Amino acid sequence: MKFNKIIDITTSVLFALIIFAFAIAFVITPDADFSEEENRSLTTFPKFSWEALMDGSFSSRINEYFADQFPARNSLVGIKGVTETMFGKGENNGVLLGKDGQLAVRLFNVYKSRLERVADMDYYAADTVTQSLDALNAWAKNTALPVATILPPRTVDVAASAFSYPTEISDAMQEQIAGYIAPEANYIDLLPLMREKYDSGEYVYLRTDHHWTTYGAYIAYTEVMKSWGLEADILPMETFSVETVENFYGTTWSKAGYKFIAPETLEVWTAGNEDQFTTSCISEKMVKGEDGKPTAVKEAYKTFSGWLDRSFLTQKDKYGAFLSGTHNEQTVFLGDGSTGRERLLIVKDSFAHTMVPFLAQHYDLVIINLAAKVANITDYVEEYGCDRVLVVYNWANLIENNNMAAVK
Amino acid sequence: MVFSSLLFLFAYLAVTLFLYYLIPNTRYRNWVLFIVSMLFYGWGEPLYILVMLASITEAYAFGFLINKYRESNVKRARLYMVLSLGMNLAALLFFKYCNFFIENLRLLPFLTDAIAPIEGLKLPIGISFYTFQIMSYTIDLYRGQTEVQKNFVAFGTYVTLFPQLIAGPIVRYRDVDDQLMTRKETIDLFGSGTRRFVVGLAKKVIIGDACAAYYEYFKASDAFADSTAGAWMVMIFYTLHIYYDFSGYSDMAIGLGRMIGFRFLENFNYPYISKSITEFWRRWHMSLGTWFKEYVYIPLGGNRVGKLKQYRNIAVVWFLTGFWHGANWNYILWGVYFGLILMAEKTFLLGALKKTPAFVQHIYSLLLIGFGWIIFSYTDAAAGLNCFASLFGIGTSTFCTPTIGYQILHSLPLFVIGAVGATPLPKKIWDKLCTVDWLSVGAIREDGTEEPIYMETKELSLRGKVFAGLTTAGTIAVFVVCVAYLVDSTFSPFLYFIF
Repeated sequence: MKFNKIIDITTSVLFALIIFAFAIAFVITPDADFSEEENRSLTTFPKFSWEALMDGSFSSRINEYFADQFPARNSLVGIKGVTETMFGKGENNGVLLGKDGQLAVRLFNVYKSRLERVADMDYYAADTVTQSLDALNAWAKNTALPVATILPPRTVDVAASAFSYPTEISDAMQEQIAGYIAPEANYIDLLPLMREKYDSGEYVYLRTDHHWTTYGAYIAYTEVMKSWGLEADILPMETFSVETVENFYGTTWSKAGYKFIAPETLEVWTAGNEDQFTTSCISEKMVKGEDGKPTAVKEAYKTFSGWLDRSFLTQKDKYGAFLSGTHNEQTVFLGDGSTGRERLLIVKDSFAHTMVPFLAQHYDLVIINLAAKVANITDYVEEYGCDRVLVVYNWANLIENNNMAAVK
Repeated sequence: MVFSSLLFLFAYLAVTLFLYYLIPNTRYRNWVLFIVSMLFYGWGEPLYILVMLASITEAYAFGFLINKYRESNVKRARLYMVLSLGMNLAALLFFKYCNFFIENLRLLPFLTDAIAPIEGLKLPIGISFYTFQIMSYTIDLYRGQTEVQKNFVAFGTYVTLFPQLIAGPIVRYRDVDDQLMTRKETIDLFGSGTRRFVVGLAKKVIIGDACAAYYEYFKASDAFADSTAGAWMVMIFYTLHIYYDFSGYSDMAIGLGRMIGFRFLENFNYPYISKSITEFWRRWHMSLGTWFKEYVYIPLGGNRVGKLKQYRNIAVVWFLTGFWHGANWNYILWGVYFGLILMAEKTFLLGALKKTPAFVQHIYSLLLIGFGWIIFSYTDAAAGLNCFASLFGIGTSTFCTPTIGYQILHSLPLFVIGAVGATPLPKKIWDKLCTVDWLSVGAIREDGTEEPIYMETKELSLRGKVFAGLTTAGTIAVFVVCVAYLVDSTFSPFLYFIF
């Protein structure tokens, strides 16, 4: 047989083999409902209807289904990650690959207005940040309570020295916020401090996740206490014993597709008195009141001792252990909350979750997710009788949405 | 459905190839192709299958009439041809251009309230391509350049054949008429088809899509930091994107065609190495150029008429070429733009250019092609004009920002790969490495334009064998990498910190 023929046969057979192997693997492997790596539900086989077929929604659901349930999905994502590195792009899927396996999300979906979002951008819309800060300023000027505001910078801002990526945008945003925020909001600019610590080798931000480390959160906690003039009350680091959870891969790692990056360690700091605390996750429900009219009643749909939901520590989403993930409304009380401690309202995103262990030692906490529809701080303060307010909202959120503009 | 999707590769193609080769003879294989091609077409928009079937049936039926009278009563045959073409064009005009005309007529004050655009009218995918294919049959038949096709399935297969259905190449009927009933599928053809398909897939998925992402990035950046360098990147990466996307698609079509025994003509021939715009249009989307030349330019008299008429002919062809690309003024402008350049080249420019060094001719061509792509890519005239002005630093606030600079630096490797891959250089180097015999194997090349040579070969040299083996391994590896890219594009980690 001619050598060329052998080559043609080999090529054809191998190609057909791959196609059929994947097709068969797809058919025989059972469908998964959830992807840990992507932290989301996967599309399952769609329900057929003639209507759906005719308007094209059935076919697009099938496309999604096929992609979501594709065999060896995670390994293939890794192959792409490696290939992109070979192109010298220095990043994959908008995640920068830096020194010592440091990852950082670089590109964000910029919120310009309700109608316009710009996907995968470095630059951000200064107007959006201004609008958010306007609302915050207006509220802060109106309240008599002690307030503190921290806006945690992104990894790409803090770990700038790990990348060749310019700090132009970090600088612009830092300058804008510091220059615009009202003194009443008691803004603490964490960027210089975090950067300095990062550069001196301290582990303040996670390598594979967009959050800070528990140590980073501790620093933020001390800065908040200092800004309230409560320096003397700050619990020294020695108060806490550190529990390490190995094999943590964060969301940045998932997004990056760099499977060759080593996992890191997530730290849980405990003071030993956690069992005296109760965390409740609260939702609002409409019930028929005494007068027959529907009224809103709040009820706890989940309560647990302490502030740590250990079931998360064995999953991929280990950061979710703090406060059991994201909930719209939560309280962390010592006992049943009637011990007469000061109450602190935290209006936040998930960066605040790791600060809870420290703040709970001083205050009973009422925790409101800023992404939730209602960001009415004034009402919450009244409802829970709060004595202080802390705002924690990271830069990525300031760039990607304008939730803070609804604050009042 | 598109080729660069997991569903196409691992469900559609797998099943199609299986069924196709399960069935022993060409007549029934055509049945398979006809049916699966309609599924391919109807995926997403099933109703438009009917539009396509109507066009096919109409042209098929008129084919008999044209054939009947084409020798005995030419006038009558011509009448049937005109009727048939008219109906085909009517469908194209209605679905693609109707709302464009209505919207422009509404600009006239007395018509603003009198007419309204038709709501819910979506463009049937590929209608511009298959309409032209059908028309080529009708005209070729009338001219006696091909025989009437009596087998409906064979004719339907010609029109709907999934490799070329939605994005070309525009296959003229007479180029494949004999293949419809008597083609021979061979392992050589399948092997070369596989290589060609994988080359096309890689061009689209690995290079084309990445260039598109850079293009989008630089275009969007302009709203935040308008820079001259950014505007150049918009132009450069669109230029690369559209070539790799489109020629990649043609490669895939040609490759898939070979897998099922068809040989289609080439559609691209290194267009970006052209030394003039005249040359560019002989190398870019050749099947469309051939179609317009064959069925519009030459019937109008082509070059064999007076100077004035020649210019008219050029104007007509290039207006139509532009308009064919889309129902929007920017496409018309794009066509007219090239029409004017071609007229200028015809009159004096080509002569003048030939006296300049080669690099001047290349820069001249690439710049004009790039400017053309700006017109092509911006349907919004103001935005397009703004981008064009930015190239010359007009209206930009800076030449470059650190962030744009960073992005340019990191897109450089892709730019180099893209630029080199658009020339015949990789092929030349490859050929040097191998013996002539090597060519019969076909190579993984960026262009993939080389038809395999079927010659009695001598024993391959050892080096030839090694490279042939490498090509096979490379083809498979590149295919897997492409699949990885496709999977990754659907991979969307949910970052809960956002909410």
